[in-house]
Amino acid sequence: MTWMMWRQHRSEALALAIFVGVVAMVLFILGRPMHALFPLGSAHCLAPPLDQACRSALVRLQQDYGYSTAVLILLNFAPYAISGFLGAPLLARELEAGTWQLVWTQAVPRRRWLAFKVVALGTVSVLLAAGLSAVIGWYRRPLDLLGGGFDITGFDLTGVAPMAYTLFAFALSVAAGAVLRRSLPAAAGAFVVFLAMRFTVAGWIRPHFVTPVTRVEAFVPGSGDITDGTSNVQDMILDQGFIDAGGRHITGLGAVIMEGKAREGGGDPTTYLHDHGIQRWVVYQPIERYWTFQLIETVTFVGLAVLLLALVFWRIRRSAF
Amino acid sequence: MRAQPALRTRNVGKRYREAWALRDCTLELPPGRVSALVGPNGAGKTTLLRLSVGLLTPTVGSVEVFGESPTTNSVRALSRIGFLAQDHPLYRQFTVADLLRFGRSCNVRFDHELAARRLTQLGISLDARAGALSGGQQSQVALALALAKRPNLLVLDEPMSSLDPLARQEFQQTLMGAVADGELTVLFSSHAVHELERVCDHLVVINHGQVVLSGDIDSLLAEHRLLVGPRIETDPRGSRSVVEVKHSDRHSTLLVRQGAAAIMPGWQANPVGLEELVLAYLRRPVDLEAGSHKEPA
Repeated sequence: MTWMMWRQHRSEALALAIFVGVVAMVLFILGRPMHALFPLGSAHCLAPPLDQACRSALVRLQQDYGYSTAVLILLNFAPYAISGFLGAPLLARELEAGTWQLVWTQAVPRRRWLAFKVVALGTVSVLLAAGLSAVIGWYRRPLDLLGGGFDITGFDLTGVAPMAYTLFAFALSVAAGAVLRRSLPAAAGAFVVFLAMRFTVAGWIRPHFVTPVTRVEAFVPGSGDITDGTSNVQDMILDQGFIDAGGRHITGLGAVIMEGKAREGGGDPTTYLHDHGIQRWVVYQPIERYWTFQLIETVTFVGLAVLLLALVFWRIRRSAF
Repeated sequence: MRAQPALRTRNVGKRYREAWALRDCTLELPPGRVSALVGPNGAGKTTLLRLSVGLLTPTVGSVEVFGESPTTNSVRALSRIGFLAQDHPLYRQFTVADLLRFGRSCNVRFDHELAARRLTQLGISLDARAGALSGGQQSQVALALALAKRPNLLVLDEPMSSLDPLARQEFQQTLMGAVADGELTVLFSSHAVHELERVCDHLVVINHGQVVLSGDIDSLLAEHRLLVGPRIETDPRGSRSVVEVKHSDRHSTLLVRQGAAAIMPGWQANPVGLEELVLAYLRRPVDLEAGSHKEPA
């Protein structure tokens, strides 16, 4: 069986290993000068007060490596690219070519055959994703200074979540292959569902995994400028604005108008806000919750993957192909 | 005591969504024989064959291969079965040697040597890619794979329909050689009725998803007679022994079972050919088949 697996899937596995290798190499080449901006390590420049070297390095990071956001966003497709290639043909190719009738009448019960394939190819996918996640984690470390702790340029590419996405994409592709019975439509169908699922969770559900923290802070008169957000750029800001003396929330356009008013006199806006009893108000998920969120997301996607694979096993038992 | 049948189905039915592909199918195949499964396209032949090798699970009824249900998909049940699907599917990217290795890695008892020798004798290079072989060669490779499993029951779905006459003959030779070599029961489907007499000794005819005739070819031919006599106006098809009635201007021809029974004066009894017999059963409308499963004595 092991030999059979290797013989059948070696070309995809090799292509994927090359793909991951090339991406890793490119990231390494692009990342080295970026890391060189921070000879003391980027964490050194995370907490204020920032020294002169840190400030100039930050400016250069923003100017010269702005493109990295686009690179990182693209890498969100990697989990699908890795496992769609392995998952979609797993059943669909056998069904397309009629070879399911050949392989399921050998002396290997088909559920055992499927279990073997799912475990082997699933493991390969997850390992490749783990390697990629490690390289991306290294590459984007200086970019932590610019934020992205919870968004698709950071959270979705680091930690254990990418492996869960990969497993999910794998299970989805296998299931699509079982239903659609053709590799290409299965790969395309799985891609659409994968994107929809990822967007839904990352965009709408993730901010509410845990009740966000609400912070209300009085302005210190004469502190200079209205500071934005929280003390850490990595935090995920869900909403922010002002609270007036009556306890009413001012957000969106109201907040912009309020800020304009505060700056009108040309004096220190914090003094104006302080004098009117207006406080800073921010709702956010602190970066300290990163691992909690990673865990929740991992469990969610692994759970979905297990559910999909269970359906495939159930389908293959009765086998109405 | 009768020997345990190689394949026994009891009231087997298979439904795909709304439509029944096979209904109430009961039959027994004697072991060590070559049986042909005959029926028009869409009669349920492929469904019955897939049920008998465990690729499908029956909706109702039971299937047994040497007393064991292939539906369980156990290693033991699978080891006893060899299957050659229609159009002999193979992994086209694999070389012939790869395919043999695949067979060896997926089976408990796999006669690698025998398969390799057979294919070499047929002039099929073990280094050739399966996809690059001719249709006849592919069918030989698929057959060699199925035979190397050393199955007790070999099931073949339209094994020769896509082959040219020469490849067909070679295929038959390999198959018959394997049958002569050992304890092998063969069940194959076909719609080329005229070829059957040469290769098989047992016949199962299915139509409209039901078994309409089943038995040894010799005894089936002995049991049936064509009766020719003066034209009759009544429709005697209600009688269970009359299979088919044909009228010409002055004569009526009846195909009857129980040929030993006395015949009316003025009538003449003639033997019937296999092809004619099969076609007569296939022409019968579906309503006459209801509940008429006849087991040969």
